[in-house]
Amino acid sequence: MEALRVEGLSKNFGGVSAVDNVSFGVEVGERLVIIGPNGAGKTTLFNLINGQLPATSGRIFFLGQDITAIPTHRRAHLGQARAFQIISLLLNLSVVDNALLALHGTKPYRFKLFRPITHYKLISDKVQETLKALDLWGKRDELVKNLSYGEQRRMEIGLSLGLQPKLLLLDEPSAGLTMEECSGIIDMIKNLGLDITVIIVDHDMDLVFGVAERIIVLHYGQIIADGTPEQIQTDPRVKEIYLGIEE
Amino acid sequence: METAKQETITQPEGSQLVTFAPHVAGVVILVILPAFLSSYIQSVMTRFLIFALFAMGYNLAFGCAGLISLGHAAYFGAGGYAVAVLKLHYGSNLFWVGAPVGILVATLIAAIFGIIALRVSGIYFLLVTFALGQLLYSVAWNVSWLNTPGMQGIAGLSLPSFGIAGFTLNTTSFYYLVLLVSLICFYLLFRMVNSPFGRALVGIREGEARMRSLGYNTWLYKYIAFVISGAFAGIAGVLFGYYNYLISPTHLGVGTSFLPMCMAIIGGVGTFLGPVIGAAIIIFVELFASIMTPERWPLILGGLFVLAIMFAREGIGVYLWRLWNKVSYHYGSIKG
Amino acid sequence: MEQVIINLLNGLSYGMVLFLIASGMSVVMGAMNIINLAHGVLYMVGGYVGWTIAVKLGAPFALGLLTGGLAAGFTGLVIERGFLRHLYRQTNEQVLLTFGFVYILTNLSLWVWGGWPRMPFTAKVLSGSIEILGKAYPKARLAIIFIGFVLAIVLWWLQDRTRVGAMVRAGMDNKEMTMGLGINLERVFSLVFFVASCIAGVAGVLGAQLLGVYNALGLEILLLALIVIIVGGVGSVQGALIGGILIGVIDAFGRALFPKLAMFTMYFTMIIILLVRPSGLLGRRV
Repeated sequence: MEALRVEGLSKNFGGVSAVDNVSFGVEVGERLVIIGPNGAGKTTLFNLINGQLPATSGRIFFLGQDITAIPTHRRAHLGQARAFQIISLLLNLSVVDNALLALHGTKPYRFKLFRPITHYKLISDKVQETLKALDLWGKRDELVKNLSYGEQRRMEIGLSLGLQPKLLLLDEPSAGLTMEECSGIIDMIKNLGLDITVIIVDHDMDLVFGVAERIIVLHYGQIIADGTPEQIQTDPRVKEIYLGIEE
Repeated sequence: METAKQETITQPEGSQLVTFAPHVAGVVILVILPAFLSSYIQSVMTRFLIFALFAMGYNLAFGCAGLISLGHAAYFGAGGYAVAVLKLHYGSNLFWVGAPVGILVATLIAAIFGIIALRVSGIYFLLVTFALGQLLYSVAWNVSWLNTPGMQGIAGLSLPSFGIAGFTLNTTSFYYLVLLVSLICFYLLFRMVNSPFGRALVGIREGEARMRSLGYNTWLYKYIAFVISGAFAGIAGVLFGYYNYLISPTHLGVGTSFLPMCMAIIGGVGTFLGPVIGAAIIIFVELFASIMTPERWPLILGGLFVLAIMFAREGIGVYLWRLWNKVSYHYGSIKG
Repeated sequence: MEQVIINLLNGLSYGMVLFLIASGMSVVMGAMNIINLAHGVLYMVGGYVGWTIAVKLGAPFALGLLTGGLAAGFTGLVIERGFLRHLYRQTNEQVLLTFGFVYILTNLSLWVWGGWPRMPFTAKVLSGSIEILGKAYPKARLAIIFIGFVLAIVLWWLQDRTRVGAMVRAGMDNKEMTMGLGINLERVFSLVFFVASCIAGVAGVLGAQLLGVYNALGLEILLLALIVIIVGGVGSVQGALIGGILIGVIDAFGRALFPKLAMFTMYFTMIIILLVRPSGLLGRRV
C-alpha cells in the first residue's frame, strides 16, 4: 500500500519552475530522505504535499486518495504531520499551550466554546504524557521562545509525533542542532513504528545515511536520482552535484 | 489573552480564590455603590458598562484572534437601530422584542460583512472593515425609513418596557439591568476565551500557518470569532439604543468603531478585563473633557491613544495584573 | 453623447485627485508595509494651507499648491520621524498609530481653521470654462486631469527609472538584503513618506477646486483612497492610477444615472473586487 504518490507534480513561480514534473511513490512505513543543494525545491515539494502551496500541475495521492485540491487542515485530519524548516512553534505561548493546541487540532472538541481547554482529560493526559516523554514537563509553563533551540526542535518533532500521524514530513530537522542533539533526533526517528511513513529533507549526512532506506536527490526541481543509500553514494551524477561534500 | 488566566494542567486550588478576588470585589462595588450615587452618575456608569461590553466583545476578535477591525460600530449601531426602528415604525419598546431582533440583525450583518472582510487579512482586513462600516453609515444616512422625518437618525428613544403592568424602568433599575446583562456576557466571554475554541484563536493569531497544518480550519475560526464578536457588539448596541435618546449614523461610523479599539489597547489587549479598564478610563476622561474642554475631546482621545501605543502597548491592565500577581503571591497562592 | 463625454471628463478629473491620494498611500504601503491612515488628514491640511495662502492672503494659486504640499509633507515627516520610526517593525502598531493622528490632526485643524467649510477655489487663470462639444466645461477640471497625468508620469518615472525608486522596490522585496548592501533604508523611508505626504497636500489643493476644504475631509478622503487601493491594487503607481480612474468614472456615471445611489456604486465595485480578486486589479497577491 502506498502512503504517498506524487505524479507529474510541478510548481511554477512566474517563469521559474521550483518543482518540475516530479513523480515518485512511497510505501507505508518507508523511510525516505530527500536531499539536494539549496534551492533544489525540497521545501516547495513539502509545501505541495502538505498543502501550503497549490500545485501548478500534477496530482498527489495520500493513502490512495487524491488530495491535490484538499486544503492543508484537512490533510492533517487525513494523517499528515509536518515539522517546518524554521521552527513554527508558537513562540509567545507556553510549552503546555503549544502542546494542547497541537493535540487538539484533529479532535472534534477543538470547536467547543464553553468548557475550559483543560477540561478535556483525554487530551490533557496525552499532553502530560507527551511532554514528559520529551523531558519538557518541568518547563511546561515556560514560553517556547525561552527554550533552547535544541529543545524547541525536539518539541516540534515530538508534538508532530503526538498526533499519531500516518505520514510525517520533517523539513531539515537537524538544522542548527549540536551533534548530540542531532543524534537524539536520529534515535527518535529510528524508534518510530512501521505504521508511520517518514519523509525527511535534510543536509546532515549522519542523519541521512543513519535513517534512510531510500534517498531521492533533487536538483533544480527535478529528480536526479532515486534509490538505496548505496546506489546514491556511488551515483556519478550525484557526486557531480555534491562535488566537495564530505561523506 | 494567553497569560492572564493561565489554566495550566495542574493549577493549585487555593490560588484560584486569590486570583479572582479583585474581580469579585469589582462586581460587589458595581452592585452596591451606584445605589448611593446620583442618577447622573448612574447614567455615566451605565454608559461605561455598555461600552465595556462593546469593547470586551470586540476584543474576542481583536485581542484574541488578532482581527483588526475598524468597523465594529456597524454591529453596535445595527443593534441600536433595530431598537429604534421598532419604536419608530412599530411603536414597540418591549425589551423581549427589541433585544432578540437587535442581536439578530447585528449578527446577520456581521455574518455578511465577515465573509467579505475575511477575503483579506492583516491591515487590509482593517481597511475593508472600515469601508464596510462606512457603507452602513451611508445607508443609514440615505434610507429614509431609517430616519425620523426631518433629521438624521431616529430620536425619541427611551428605556425599555417589559410588558408588565405598573413596572417601568428608571435610570437606576436600567443600570442594574445593564449590569446584569454585562456580567452574564463577561462570563460567557470568559468561558469562550478559555475554551478549546478560544485557545485556538490565540494560536491562529500567533501562527496561522502552523495551526492549519495541525488541522484547524483557520478561516472558519476567524469567521466564527468575528460573528460572535459582532453579536456582542449588537447586545451593547441594543442596550445603547435604550440608553441614548437618539441613534444616528454616527453610531455606525468609524468614530464609534474607534472606541472599542482604543479601549482595548489602552486597557490592555492581552488581559481578559483590559477592555473594561480601558472603557473606564475613556469614559471617565470623556466625562472630564465634556466639562472642561468639550471641543478638544477628539484631540485628547487621539493623544491618549498615541501615547498608549508608543509607551504602554500592553495596556494599563497588564501593569495592574502584574501588580496584583505580586501581591497575591505574597498573601495567598500555593505554588504547585 | 456629449453627456457621456462630460461624465467621462468629470470622472477623470475626480479620478485624478483620487489617484494622487491613493498613489502616495499605496507606495508607502508597498515600501514600508504600513498604511498611513492619516493620509486623508494630510490632504486636508494641504487644502487648508493652500486656502490660507491662495484665498485668504490672495497669493497665486501655484504658491498655494506649493505651500500646501510642503505643509502636508512636513506634518507627515513629524509623524514618521517622531513616532513611527520608534515602532520599527511593528507594522500593526504603526498603522493604528496613524489613526490616532487622524483624530489629533483633525481636531487641530478644527482649532486653527474653524468648522466652517471653505468653498472650492482655483487659480484666476483657471476659473471659468472652455467650450467642449458645445458645452461649457470648467477649466479647472481640465487642469486637474492634465496635472494628474504629468504627476503620474513623474511618479512612474521615479518608481521605475531612478535609483531611489529601485531602492524602494528592493526594500519592498527584501529589507535585509537592501540594508546589507549599505543602503540607508531609514532615510529612504523618511524620504518616501515625505514625498507621499507632499503629494497628498498637493492633491488637497488641487482637489479643493472641486470639493473645497472642510473638516470631515480627513476621513472622507481616507475612505475614497482605500477603496481606490482595494480596487486598483497595492504598491504601484499604475495600480493607483487604474483604481483612481475607474472609481472616478464609475462614480461620475453612477451619479448621472442613479443619483440616489451616490457613493454606493463605489462600494459595490469594492465588494465585487474583494470577492472576485482580493489583491486588486494590479496588485501583488495579498
